[in-house]
Amino acid sequence: LGIRGSFAIMLYSVARAGMDWVTITWSMVAAACLTLAAVHFSIWMRQRHAGAHFVFSCSAVSAAAVAGFELGMMRSQTPEQYESIVRWTHPAIFTLVVSLVCFVRLYLHAGRYWLAWGAICLRGLALVLNFAFPTNLNYLEITGIRQVAFPGGNWVSVAEGRANPWTLVGQLSSVLLLIFFVDALITVWRRGDRRRAIVLCGSTIVFIVLAAGHSALVTWGVIQTPYFISIAYLGIIAAMGYELSSDVVRAALLGRQLQTNETALRDSEQRMDLAAAAAGLAMWRWDIGRDEVWMSDRGRTLFGYSSSEPLNLDRLLQIVHPDDRDALVHAIANSMNGDGDYESEFRIIPADGRMRWIAGRGRVEFSNVNGNKPLRMRGVSIDITDRKQAELESQQQRAELAHLSRVTMLGELSASLAHELNQPLAAILSNAEAAQRFLARETVDLDEVRAILKDIIQDDNRAGEVIRRLRLLLKKGEPQRQELDLNETIQDVLKLVNSDLLNHRVSVHTELEASLPAVGADRVQMQQVLLNLIMNGCDAMTDTEVTDRDLTLRSESTLDNAVHVSVVDHGCGIPPAHIEKVFAPFFTTKVTGMGLGLAVCRTIISAHGGRLWASSNAAGPGVTFHFALPQLVRGDK
Amino acid sequence: VTSSDPTVFLIDDDASVLRAVERLLRAAGFHVSPFDSPAQFLEQCDTDIRGCIVLDVQMPHVNGLELQGELRAKEVTLPIIFLTGHGDIPMTVRALKQGALDFLTKPIQGEALIDAVRAAIASDAAQRLARAEVAEIRRRLATLTPREYEVFGHVLAGRLNKQTAADLGTVEKTIKVHRARVMDKMQARSVAELVHLAERAGIAASSHSD
Repeated sequence: LGIRGSFAIMLYSVARAGMDWVTITWSMVAAACLTLAAVHFSIWMRQRHAGAHFVFSCSAVSAAAVAGFELGMMRSQTPEQYESIVRWTHPAIFTLVVSLVCFVRLYLHAGRYWLAWGAICLRGLALVLNFAFPTNLNYLEITGIRQVAFPGGNWVSVAEGRANPWTLVGQLSSVLLLIFFVDALITVWRRGDRRRAIVLCGSTIVFIVLAAGHSALVTWGVIQTPYFISIAYLGIIAAMGYELSSDVVRAALLGRQLQTNETALRDSEQRMDLAAAAAGLAMWRWDIGRDEVWMSDRGRTLFGYSSSEPLNLDRLLQIVHPDDRDALVHAIANSMNGDGDYESEFRIIPADGRMRWIAGRGRVEFSNVNGNKPLRMRGVSIDITDRKQAELESQQQRAELAHLSRVTMLGELSASLAHELNQPLAAILSNAEAAQRFLARETVDLDEVRAILKDIIQDDNRAGEVIRRLRLLLKKGEPQRQELDLNETIQDVLKLVNSDLLNHRVSVHTELEASLPAVGADRVQMQQVLLNLIMNGCDAMTDTEVTDRDLTLRSESTLDNAVHVSVVDHGCGIPPAHIEKVFAPFFTTKVTGMGLGLAVCRTIISAHGGRLWASSNAAGPGVTFHFALPQLVRGDK
Repeated sequence: VTSSDPTVFLIDDDASVLRAVERLLRAAGFHVSPFDSPAQFLEQCDTDIRGCIVLDVQMPHVNGLELQGELRAKEVTLPIIFLTGHGDIPMTVRALKQGALDFLTKPIQGEALIDAVRAAIASDAAQRLARAEVAEIRRRLATLTPREYEVFGHVLAGRLNKQTAADLGTVEKTIKVHRARVMDKMQARSVAELVHLAERAGIAASSHSD
């Protein structure tokens, strides 16, 4: 705007003074073009990738040159001088055309290539022809110079002569150029960028129509004026100036927006930090390719790293509890090879030596190209030591309750257990007394004595075995998961309750699946559950006819990878309304029971990831108690 | 082993206890016949065998007390010594009521068991002797004519010959003859002996019909 304003004021004052305004005007046009060229060239210098600015500055320099040549023509005194200037104008026009075409392609990405090449090639041909003719492309011969009066008392030179018919080549190039720009305008308009279409393409089209049309009329001698190509270029200057200024305004706007965004970003970052701090979250990011770990300050405090220490995966694993290290590495590898979700719980022993439990959650980011390669992993870690402690405590309480219930149950079983112990003791005593009597005889049957001693040892072992089993059940210890064959457990338990079953006059049938899959469970607790179910079954059949007191123990593997054990009695049954209540604590139908047995059994089975339930027998009276435990998967602990 | 030897029938489902007790009794000089189930024993026993039974109370299917009942039903009179791991009072009472001779708690003291077995065998022998006597008296009784049996009844009731003759509508002399024949057939030397024989055989005096 500044350029245009001062230009108008100067033009006006020069005209009023009656000075040589033609010279001043054309010089100023050239100057304006050069200014514009300089501006765009400097932009290009700073942004080398923006080639459009460079070609535009070329077009402006070309226009300045054309302005100079036009002024030369108007001031030429001889036809030869005029001829030569016209001839040297053509290279400038060529570069002007080429740079305008390039500008549209580079800046607007519009216009068909064949039109572009057509215009450039024809203009190139015109340039060749221009130098091929003795005079120039426009005139075959200039016969004379005529002085034409301009307003304000200025006289300018105009050529008189024969027009060169080959000048049509140049004009055809201009027509192609025009079509090229119209085509570009339509493309850009359709793309939705209407302002640019109008400002850039529109102004260029006006320029081409004015410059090429007017030049043709002058060359063909239809009108008697000098060439005004550079004046027409003023429209482009105005358009570019407008575009440039709106660019500056937009840049300023963008800058302000960026600042706002940055403030918002910082704000949200602070909010995030606040939330993370409040939740005790440590944030981290692991650049997988470079094996670099970034960690928030809180994270470094949590893991006991100094704030400047460089971190990588190995450094992190160093402080992980040795027992948990493999599992953690496994979890990370799984998330990188799988769906990208990472989740794990592990213990760390930081530099201060105080063990802590950590839970980690994260996601792997994969590269879109390059075959889904994991790029980095982001996530949070949190100190769950308190929760783990509580978990451990409740686990201990559960174990204690289980133990208490076990002791109570063994109390109920005491008569039966005493019998189990008494039998071998009785056998030992009788054997020993028999041996004494045999040895007191005159002829000692040593074979008999040997057989007796062998039996004594065997019975002693049997008594020891009963005590060992009892001690195991009475032991108060952490439950230990191990690979367990439930069939074996069933047999073990039956040995313990054998005498109780006899007293209850209950006969036991077992239907155990051969090669039953193993489960991962605590042996003692499984014995406890089975003992409980068997004893309940016995108690339920107190009022049943002796001949019908049958207890069936069944084991089988199921399709959903579980092991299913059922204890079927033929007792009085449980009303359907109560069948779930039997698992409630302190629910009992017995005079002596505490009502904890089944409740504890259910807790035990749940803690093993299984299910304990009861159902009424479909055929005949009685109830079946079932429990199902997941099969042990190889590699599980 | 002849069938006349008294035998200890030992029944216990626990193989090692069975073996040990069998040894103990054998060492004490008894003839022992072990069984590991009541059913097996029931198949083999008969009323003629002499001896006693040593029986475990707690056994599957048929327990000791039930076996005792079955034996009574089969009129097997062998005395029974019960062995039990933990004898409770009702169980003991029931066993003794049913005629158990003894009730021993495991672990058994050898001496106690041997004494009990000895007593049981003696008891069996005495029982058999008594049963043989009664059988002999009954045999003699069977030789009496109905008239002699009537007179026998009156003698047991302590009636005089004169009274008996009046009751039976005959003369005293006839009664005297009958009475002598009764004494002769019953092999009794005195009235007191005759009364004793009648008591052994469980015959009551005929009721006096005044």
